[in-house]
Amino acid sequence: MLISFDRIARSMAGEIAVDQKSASGVNPIHISAKDVTVSFGPVTALDGFNADIPHGIIGLLGPNGAGKSTLIKASLGLLVLDKGAISVGGLDSQSQSLQIRDFVGYMPEHDCLIPSVNAVELVSYLGMISGMAYRDAIQRSHEMLDFVGIGEERYRPIKSYSTGMKQKVKLAQAIVHDPKLLFLDEPTSGMDPQGREEMLSLVTRMASSEKTIVVSSHILEDVERICDYAVIIDNGKLVRSGEMTTLLAGEEGVRSLTVRGSEQALLGYVRALEQVCQIVDRKDQVGESTLLVRGCEDGKKVFRLAAENGAQVRSFRPERLDLEEVFLRAFRGGGRNGH
Amino acid sequence: MGISPIEYHPWKGERTAQNLRLYIIARSVFRHKLSSIGVIIMMIVGFMLVHALNLFTIILVSHDKLEGSDMTSYLGSGLFTVLSMLLAAVVTSDLISEDLANSSFVLYFSRALKVRDYLAGKAAGALLVMSLFCLIPPVLLASVSIATQTGSDYWHSFGVLGETVLVGALMTLFFVPFGLMISSFTRRKSYAAVGTFMAFFGLAVVAQIFSQFARGWRVISPIDALSILFKWLYEGQVPSYVNKDALLLIVASLIIVPAAIVYFRLTREVVGK
Repeated sequence: MLISFDRIARSMAGEIAVDQKSASGVNPIHISAKDVTVSFGPVTALDGFNADIPHGIIGLLGPNGAGKSTLIKASLGLLVLDKGAISVGGLDSQSQSLQIRDFVGYMPEHDCLIPSVNAVELVSYLGMISGMAYRDAIQRSHEMLDFVGIGEERYRPIKSYSTGMKQKVKLAQAIVHDPKLLFLDEPTSGMDPQGREEMLSLVTRMASSEKTIVVSSHILEDVERICDYAVIIDNGKLVRSGEMTTLLAGEEGVRSLTVRGSEQALLGYVRALEQVCQIVDRKDQVGESTLLVRGCEDGKKVFRLAAENGAQVRSFRPERLDLEEVFLRAFRGGGRNGH
Repeated sequence: MGISPIEYHPWKGERTAQNLRLYIIARSVFRHKLSSIGVIIMMIVGFMLVHALNLFTIILVSHDKLEGSDMTSYLGSGLFTVLSMLLAAVVTSDLISEDLANSSFVLYFSRALKVRDYLAGKAAGALLVMSLFCLIPPVLLASVSIATQTGSDYWHSFGVLGETVLVGALMTLFFVPFGLMISSFTRRKSYAAVGTFMAFFGLAVVAQIFSQFARGWRVISPIDALSILFKWLYEGQVPSYVNKDALLLIVASLIIVPAAIVYFRLTREVVGK
């Protein structure tokens, strides 16, 4: 052998090895963006963006072109900020991007795998580029491919893989070096329902190892299922953010009421209810009305008026939203009434 | 009862220093190229056409010492340069174009890797392959010549050996930056390979046309420029019509300018604006 790079790299690595914990700086990882502006010519992708993203599984939501991928790339130091600063784990994304990237894993949205090599070669190669020694990288790449569920097909060229398998390999390459912070850009994109289920399960299982995982996705149902916190972006600005439980809780003091009865009974009931509560929304079906009411927390009046008007209360509970409703309200510029 | 899923386990190892990671890329390129049929065939054909015949001549023909003129006729011939150019075109063609085509830059640069290190790694891998044809055989051949010489003027022979190392290193380096630059302009490696060769061929044609008016224009042909430079190095002579400064400027600019262009192109590609 003319030149053994392994030997060179290992011997030098012994002298200049970087301790993984010290590279990551702090643990767990938080991201903080302050007045971040990024533009591409006339297009402003992030426009004075401010957010504090805590530890946990974070959902990054927004329509196409909202600035989600730009935020991820800017956090990795892959984009030059026009204004503002992003701090990742206490490190500045512009001046300390290499230190940041040592403890970050990134699963891109688009197809980026090298088609001519197999999954083991690719994942171990990228592990070595992340600073792993040859043996570690090989062993770890097998472990990660096992973890994501790529079996014997790992020895086939990637060009023969299905979309779901490619997504899994993209995840394996992102976690091969055990990053503390993981950016997943549309992780379930193009996957069938079973593949989606598997991917979400992988993300949840990884989160138990103290990782901060930022999931950028259009599929709100996925985000609602796995995320602890959500950040909603539109036109490069933060629209809304918060704990998932808080976001889904709905407006304080607003309750959802479902009543059944004849058309006349329901009409009378709604009229009577309007005298004691504020009805903020109403949906009528044949023989049933669903109301959102404010100011009827104790419920006694609700049930009494129903009995008086011949209507039957089927449910009366605090308002609970799904993420789609939270998302839509955020884009309507607030809630039903500015919430 | 189902099989328990394989759980995620953290990695406890130590990372290598960031500035060493370019060796991983270089090694990958080197291995990949040495397993490529096209590169192997080109190396064998090139070795047979350029090096083997000279090696037999040196072994069989009695010689007093290693002469610069012998090396000029061996390495200064257009054949060595043309074959080096072809090899460089094949070796460098996919180094960047494939990453462009696959959008795999993001896999590299989402890691702690600088554009400079990425390029250095790719170039180092290509240079190692090129050295197998351009540097090592001429140095071996010169060494064999010294070992089999009948005279005792070894200092002169070692001087020529040193010049051979220089010539081999220059030939190894000369076409790689240009090849990388062309590879960064296209997503198809076939275009990159043909583009590299045709760009040099185009310069040779332009030189041929203009040299009819003034012979000094020959230096803009890479093949002629290298032949003249090698003759200058080995024999200390340059044709009277050649401007030495222009010769050095052209050779240097064919290395430095493409390297700078590919660096800035990639920086732009990675940074995205």
